Amino acid sequence: MPISYPHFGSLTYVIESLLNELGVDVMVPKKPTKRTTELGARYGPEFVCTPFKLTLGTFIEMLEAGADVLGMGGCNAYCRFGYYWPVQKLILQDLGFDNFRFINIDYENPLNIIRQLKTESGLNTLQTIRAFQITWVKNRLTDLVDQLVYRYRALEVVKGSCDKLANKLFRKIVETRGMSSIRKLHKELPSYFEREIETYSAKNRLKIVVTGEIYVVLEPALNVDVFRKLNNLGVIVETPITLRRFIDVGQKLNPFKKMHFLKARKLGVPYVAYRIGGETQENLGDIIYYKKHGFDGMVHLYPFTCMPEIITRAIAPEISMKYDMPFISLVVDEQTGEAGFQTRLEAFTDLLQRKKDEKSTIFIRKD
Amino acid sequence: MKEGETTVLSTDELISPNSVMENNNAEKKKKQFITAIQKSTPNRINVGIPRALLFYKFHQLWTTFFEELGANVIVSPKTNKEIKTKAISCAPDEDCYSTKLYYGHVMALKDKVDYLFIPRFQSEHKTNVSCPKFLGLAESLRSAYADLPPIIMPAYSQAKLKHGKWRLIQIAFSIGKIFTKNPFKILRATRQAFNNHRSWIQDKILTHMELSDWEQNKLFVNDPPVIHDSTEPLKIALIAHTYMLNDPYASLNIKQLLINAGVNLITSEQMPKDLIEKQMEKLDFNMYFDYERELLGTAMHFLEKKTIDGIIHIIIFCCGPDSIVGEMVSRFSKRDPVIPVLQLTFDELTGETGLKTRLEAFLDMVHRKKKMEGRN
Repeated sequence: MPISYPHFGSLTYVIESLLNELGVDVMVPKKPTKRTTELGARYGPEFVCTPFKLTLGTFIEMLEAGADVLGMGGCNAYCRFGYYWPVQKLILQDLGFDNFRFINIDYENPLNIIRQLKTESGLNTLQTIRAFQITWVKNRLTDLVDQLVYRYRALEVVKGSCDKLANKLFRKIVETRGMSSIRKLHKELPSYFEREIETYSAKNRLKIVVTGEIYVVLEPALNVDVFRKLNNLGVIVETPITLRRFIDVGQKLNPFKKMHFLKARKLGVPYVAYRIGGETQENLGDIIYYKKHGFDGMVHLYPFTCMPEIITRAIAPEISMKYDMPFISLVVDEQTGEAGFQTRLEAFTDLLQRKKDEKSTIFIRKD
Repeated sequence: MKEGETTVLSTDELISPNSVMENNNAEKKKKQFITAIQKSTPNRINVGIPRALLFYKFHQLWTTFFEELGANVIVSPKTNKEIKTKAISCAPDEDCYSTKLYYGHVMALKDKVDYLFIPRFQSEHKTNVSCPKFLGLAESLRSAYADLPPIIMPAYSQAKLKHGKWRLIQIAFSIGKIFTKNPFKILRATRQAFNNHRSWIQDKILTHMELSDWEQNKLFVNDPPVIHDSTEPLKIALIAHTYMLNDPYASLNIKQLLINAGVNLITSEQMPKDLIEKQMEKLDFNMYFDYERELLGTAMHFLEKKTIDGIIHIIIFCCGPDSIVGEMVSRFSKRDPVIPVLQLTFDELTGETGLKTRLEAFLDMVHRKKKMEGRN
């Protein structure tokens, strides 16, 4: 009984290695295509958020391909995410798929994740914890690869060399087994990029941070590959969004390291005092955080009708004005076109570039 | 039908929220009262409460509390065209229709009051929460419009922040000290407010007896329908959020339209809570949006019991929880297609004519279905 799950950017590899580690029969989801989006939009509810439609489309395709267990997250928060699987189950049943079942994992509580994984895999507690630990460590690796790609792709001389290397490394991350060799690979990762990719100078390049709702930021099929578009414009991109804030127990327990989302949340509290769900507080805090760390602008992504992120969008202009941090909010849904995004991003980066140039010229004149 | 019972219920016994809000005379008197007070005591602090969203669930609690504290409570006028136009122009374009209206109500109040009361209310249940917009409203309003009067925004969340009675007392004192220095007055106001709130809710929600009487057509739980011929009135459940049901302008007066068409109406907010909880236990997941439980529960109850002729489900455009509940209701009804279900999506562009046509078509169909069943 092969188990499948939604495509989730580079996390696809992490989940794949988790399931390998648990010894389950895995069916790796295909990259979402136009058909996936269309299937999801046709059978999904009318104004549900876009990730629902994309994951529904993926599930239909995977069930057609022969999967019969579907893995999905669940939660009990200010978000519709916890309702994804019940509604998708109803829809899939109505479509005539009978022999399948859902595994829903409440991602907000690590203990809960371990408990669920244990019952599903049949391993003992220690083995499950070990497998889960390998997952979060591997997630650190994929995050690092992503971070390096978003930097080196903007600077590469030979177009496409960075993507090739990234694919190779992701495969390597999945295939590496054993904690010591994973940690060794972690240290080697930056040197791979330094060695194999020829780059231009990073001087005077724009630096932009991309934040927003986690699924939209991490899934290139949904955000029309914003990262690549920005990289092609010569912009160095970074994102603080990662699943590790939920699953990286190692770093959570480490008293010497503070996870980024905690720092960002602290900065966001004066504007939104309580956690609203989604990444509202963190996104608002990130505007201030990244301004302090010398970034030039912020791109905020969220799916259409996302409840928490609408609040982010309503409050962000105030902070953006106060801290002089340019901010653009882009809504994503299944109708989003490539060209519209391209134009807006070009205009945004042009404005940022002009702002940066003005600053530097004033600086020179003063000298 | 027993006439005696209906008259008693429609006037005194069952104070539906409409009787508070729709009774023009009472409101006129209240207005006169308020203006009289304003003239006599010009120094009283004006507190504005927007008549939208959670106001319809907690108006007894809030108004009593502030009035007992000695504040002058100003509730924004009922939704009208002016408020709607203002709301559409100043609210974030992606919010749901009801949230947009909230912005309009705040704008209508902002120049007349010293304080605005916009609670950051989140949940009154151990694990279940409600829409995040209730929590973010006060802060997004404060951020978007700098010229608003100071906002009183107590935060309360039982599910996520584990707030309990102690927190309520804290909130009461933190608000109360704006108006009075007497702690006993604050405690008295709090107790009075909660008593009023509880008794209002008890009056609103039907008992099992009343529900079964309604199901057997012995009793009207809302205004009695206008009956044109001798046929038995249709029994229809109207499922919608409280703030849609009780806002005649936003819901295009759908309640009155149905009553005029001779429909014996029950609304989702009147359903007994334990029936809803019983339905929720049948689901294989936890329905963790608290206020949507009653919508889904009502629909599931009537789809299962089959004691009514039809269900009308009002969905607010862009409402997050509604997109889920709407889909579930339609899927459940398709699996057991005995009770017809009509789902209507409301937004600021919905026209009355379109609504009327659809309602007429639906009611005609239900009538015909009933007739055919009677013949067999």
